[in-house]
Amino acid sequence: MLDAKSSVIDSKVSQLWKKIWGQYSIIVIFIGIIIIASILLGRTFFDGQNFLNILRNNSILGILALGMAFVIISGNFDLSIGSMLVAVGASTIMITNFFGRVLGPDLGLLAIILGILSALICGALFGFLNGIIITKGKIPSFIVTLGFMSIYRSVSMYFMKGGGFFCDVPGFKNISNTDLFGIIPLPVIYFAVLAAICYYISKHTKFGRHVYAVGSNEKATRLSGINTDKVKILTFIIMGIMVALAVITETSRMNSINATSSGSGYEITAITAVVIGGVSLSGGKGSIVSVVFGVLLLGVISNILNIAGVDVFLINAIKGSLVILAVLLQKKEVIR
Amino acid sequence: MSEYALKMTGINKSFDGIQVLNNIEIAVKSSEIHALLGENGAGKSTLMNILGGVLLADSGIIEVDGEQVNLHTPSESQHHGIAFIHQELNVVNDLRVYENMFLGYEVHNKFGHLNAQEMIKQSQEIFNYMNIKVDPKAVVGDLDASYKQIIEIAKALLRNATIIIMDEPTTSLTHVEIDNIFKIMRTLKEKGATIIFISHKLGEVVEICDRFTVLRNGEKIVVEDVHGPNGTVSAETIARYMVGRDVLDANIFEKHDVGDVIMEVNNLCCSPYIKDVSFNIRKGEILAFTGLLGDGRTELARAIFGDMKIESGTIKVNGEKITNKSPEKAKKMKFGYLPDNRKENGIVKDLTVAENITLSTLERFQKKFKLNLKEEKSVAKQYVSSLSIKIPSLDANITSLSGGNQQKVVLAKWLHVKPDIMILSNPTQGVDVGAKKEIYGLIMQLAKSGVAVMVMTGEAQEVLKICDRVCVMYHGVIKAELSRNECCEESLMILSTGGSID
Repeated sequence: MLDAKSSVIDSKVSQLWKKIWGQYSIIVIFIGIIIIASILLGRTFFDGQNFLNILRNNSILGILALGMAFVIISGNFDLSIGSMLVAVGASTIMITNFFGRVLGPDLGLLAIILGILSALICGALFGFLNGIIITKGKIPSFIVTLGFMSIYRSVSMYFMKGGGFFCDVPGFKNISNTDLFGIIPLPVIYFAVLAAICYYISKHTKFGRHVYAVGSNEKATRLSGINTDKVKILTFIIMGIMVALAVITETSRMNSINATSSGSGYEITAITAVVIGGVSLSGGKGSIVSVVFGVLLLGVISNILNIAGVDVFLINAIKGSLVILAVLLQKKEVIR
Repeated sequence: MSEYALKMTGINKSFDGIQVLNNIEIAVKSSEIHALLGENGAGKSTLMNILGGVLLADSGIIEVDGEQVNLHTPSESQHHGIAFIHQELNVVNDLRVYENMFLGYEVHNKFGHLNAQEMIKQSQEIFNYMNIKVDPKAVVGDLDASYKQIIEIAKALLRNATIIIMDEPTTSLTHVEIDNIFKIMRTLKEKGATIIFISHKLGEVVEICDRFTVLRNGEKIVVEDVHGPNGTVSAETIARYMVGRDVLDANIFEKHDVGDVIMEVNNLCCSPYIKDVSFNIRKGEILAFTGLLGDGRTELARAIFGDMKIESGTIKVNGEKITNKSPEKAKKMKFGYLPDNRKENGIVKDLTVAENITLSTLERFQKKFKLNLKEEKSVAKQYVSSLSIKIPSLDANITSLSGGNQQKVVLAKWLHVKPDIMILSNPTQGVDVGAKKEIYGLIMQLAKSGVAVMVMTGEAQEVLKICDRVCVMYHGVIKAELSRNECCEESLMILSTGGSID
């Protein structure tokens, strides 16, 4: 009798756990790692300022991961974003500098606004270009964006002579290097606001639903009378706009952009964060909330390894192993 | 050597509780050409897949050459000399003939160096045995379609096959090519091979086969000699066996008013699938399109719905010429389309039941940018109850439903669109008997409410149960148009196998 009762409770607990794990495994892992690290590393890790640092250091990656989430959920890839970032960044600085000179120091703010606008237009345009070639040319996104990855980087290096551009409009660097209420870095706010918007789009709009549908079964979605090409192109445009927003944050932080180093490897890190966040690489599955935690987890792990004094050269190896482990843990649940 | 090359007795098989083979028995004599016949869904493919080791029977005995065997895998089946030549041929166009024949069984020395000379020699020997001329070094892609069939047969002989299953080998071939294949089949028979021939072309069966077995609804109906004591059996007799006498059971059909012509299709061409197709359909009319594999009815549905490019011809809706450039445009023109192959074309597997129902009509729940998720749920709920769809919950994944219920969900999606012209492609594919009847009921209701319904189906019974009129298609052409009281299963079978009735 007692046994039966306890086994019922047992199965209820295990069911509840299964449900939590199934939907929020990434959050469970995240909290688990925070607790373990806090116990092992103490105040050097478990500290408000440290957490803010983690957030600031990962907000640019986070913004890119949000865009990448839409692209991957719709069943595609974008490998061009790292190089796109340099191209958009270079043009943004050039345009900002140009207007800064033409309009004079009194209208510096206007020059900056025009620069930001140009970045958004440029990013959206590049995204559109990716999308239109992929859908109308019926070429896998992997190939198209791989091509643009080389094109954007190479053309940027040509125009920048392999070096970098500096922004000479004063005030441009304030976009990123200002703290709200004197504590919260603005990039963190940007990331948070964008995450909220992306969450809303994914769950509460027609477009968001269509992104999941296209990623899950493109043919059936098209036969339901939905313009799947349009949906896919829009995901790439969103990705492009996210690149523009990321590049504004990035160039402002450094007040410059570099042809060789800026944005290098960002596409891989963004994809990694999205995958850790449980988004299926075959499309159709995943949530923005989990992607945000994927970004945070990646940031926290780097931070922990830094504090623990792990050799810099080894950090990527550990990160790589964790990616595989994270996906393996999530996969196992699906198979069962 | 036993009298029977192959004997299968008491074969039972069910999928998800639906019995597809019921105590089936088939006996094939040594060195005969034996036809296996039946309508779509009669159980032929299932039976042959069991013989090929692809599927496992629930119970039953298989004897090859008098010895009981276990066929758990395709390679075990191959080991017992059984070769299955599928309808979709497994030849690689970019490889040479001999490379195809030895694919996976390459002759090589111990360092992995391929011995092309030896393979070419052995291929040539097989072709000599078959009494045909093929250059083993030719690239397969350059050869005629019939040669692909020949290569498959040669491949089977190379692996010492004694029982060769040929699944509709002639569907995509021309007359000359078919004669060529028949010649080879006769040669092989003389040399002792046993052939199981699956075909819908009954004329061919009479021409080439020695005996035939007919299956219907998973049961063996008859086994007979083609050239029996009472003379040669006629295609009509075989058709009758295939269809059965006791066909019309329930009275699903209800009389309903048929209105004005809503759509007129003239000289529609989409080569190679559809040739010069013309028809019209009225409001509230149920017009069926039937035929056998390769008849072009699915392509016709896709072309009208904008899923395939139309080469020439016109479509007029209410007298006005229209072009559906994409399914999106077709939906706007008030067309609906329930596609065939539900898993691939119908359901979106990662979405919930409710999300699948509202997929085509999401904009109706949209205010500015925000979706009204509550309203969406309540609409989905209405459809679930009015179509009596059995679901665990509205948030359940669509894949957790049975086939029939999934189909109802896809149907509900289009009912909510409220189309004027509804195209249903194989609406009861993979659906059990109960759900089938309910879907027929829905189609009736749809027609009664004034929707023009096109039903593309391969099942003759379906045609008889629900249609007002039927177009029988054969190789992309509308062979005949019959009204409800003109059509019977025999005439449908004769017309769709390429024959004609007076």
